[in-house]
Amino acid sequence: MDLETVLSRPVQLDCCEGILRGALLTRRAELRKSWRRFISPECLASLGALAKEVETLLSGEDAFRDWRFAGAFGWMDCDASFADNLRAIALAHNFEHRPSDAAPAQLCLGAFNRLPRDERTEFLYDRYRCPLNIGLPSETDVAEELLRQLMVPDRGKLEAGTEFDAEMVLLKLNLVGVRAMVTRDLRYLDALNYFYELPRRSLMRMRSNPRLHSFWMCIYSQLLSTPGWQKCALR
Amino acid sequence: MRVAVIAGSISGGFRIAREIECLPGVEVFVLACSVGKRSRLLRWTREVLSALKSFKWVTLAARVYGYARRGRLIILHHPLDDATSIERVRSLQCDVGLHAANVIYREPVISAFRLGILNAHIGILPKYRGRCVAEWSILQGEPTGVTVFFIDPGIDTGARIVLREFIPSNGWRNVRALKNMLFRCDARLYRKALEALMSAEFSLESNDISKGQRYYVMSRLFTKVVNKILATTHIVAG
Repeated sequence: MDLETVLSRPVQLDCCEGILRGALLTRRAELRKSWRRFISPECLASLGALAKEVETLLSGEDAFRDWRFAGAFGWMDCDASFADNLRAIALAHNFEHRPSDAAPAQLCLGAFNRLPRDERTEFLYDRYRCPLNIGLPSETDVAEELLRQLMVPDRGKLEAGTEFDAEMVLLKLNLVGVRAMVTRDLRYLDALNYFYELPRRSLMRMRSNPRLHSFWMCIYSQLLSTPGWQKCALR
Repeated sequence: MRVAVIAGSISGGFRIAREIECLPGVEVFVLACSVGKRSRLLRWTREVLSALKSFKWVTLAARVYGYARRGRLIILHHPLDDATSIERVRSLQCDVGLHAANVIYREPVISAFRLGILNAHIGILPKYRGRCVAEWSILQGEPTGVTVFFIDPGIDTGARIVLREFIPSNGWRNVRALKNMLFRCDARLYRKALEALMSAEFSLESNDISKGQRYYVMSRLFTKVVNKILATTHIVAG
């Protein structure tokens, strides 16, 4: 059968969009009720003043901020730290960023993967001080590598219940989530779906970093509330 | 043309061999591989069970005997990328290997075949590489199908595509049924691919990976979405 014949019977796209939107909102409703099973009271307490905002975002009405514009921008600079900027994105706040005069050099993935663990983490914190930069077309190779690492080796370790680097996995989940916000690429959203569905005992080990753990949950919550995924995927 | 079916089980290998042995000018071998770290007992128990499940075990036994007698059934006791297995494969001097085993191919195994190893990938290349590509195609409103291409050690990155066949998902109630149907197309499409390779006017298509993306295992949430889409289109098609 040729392509023309197949496309003459297209899948009903409007119907697909409706089914997808319904499923995401159902998951959002489930998350609204269940997030406390992922973020324990101790974990929440350790967030200090942030706790209230995290609680409001996860338990409250569907909220999301549209960051798609960032994909069309060039490299952006920020004065605040990676942690502060990620917090703003996770809690659907705005934050100060400005166009950069010079984008950093293209990252060599081989060299990045050869870096010792601490240097790799530092490198990501530093390069993505403005986390929206992970959504730029120039960062596609890095983002694809982070997605691959999450969905192949990290997923394998979590499913097998073997040791994994919780901070690194959380950092990747957050960056992949931000990439999904900017690009509306369903694969990046689905990585967060997949990690949310992992056995709870695996996710419990991520509580070791309450901030990054809460942030990815908040980003996930926003992604679930975001409309129009399929229209963006088909552009 | 000398062709070897690289199979995870003897019955699986013969399912494909049966389809291609009728092609003129094709000599077929069945390479039964040792998959994973199964013990011999487990391996042979599975072989017997899978033969019995086919309900045609008498025919299968006769075919196995026929192939074995002519030296065309090769049972590998070591993993495929073990040096002894590679040596055995090389000694067959095959032109093409047909992937039908749940193994990862490394360069020495691939280069043991003159032209390479063909894979019937249940997605349309170059756009859909990796896992769950049938599901991802449906989710993104794109046609499903199978691509037969020569593999390389990467994930669906082999540069030479032999053929692509678009196979509609309409009429299949769920992902499992659809994927079973697509997987079962392998023997027929391998035959078509071999016919194409032997024809004078055939030219390979390029698998330009910059035109596609790698996909990963799909979450339960999205799989449910795809099942709902299939159920809806099933009703529409009906």
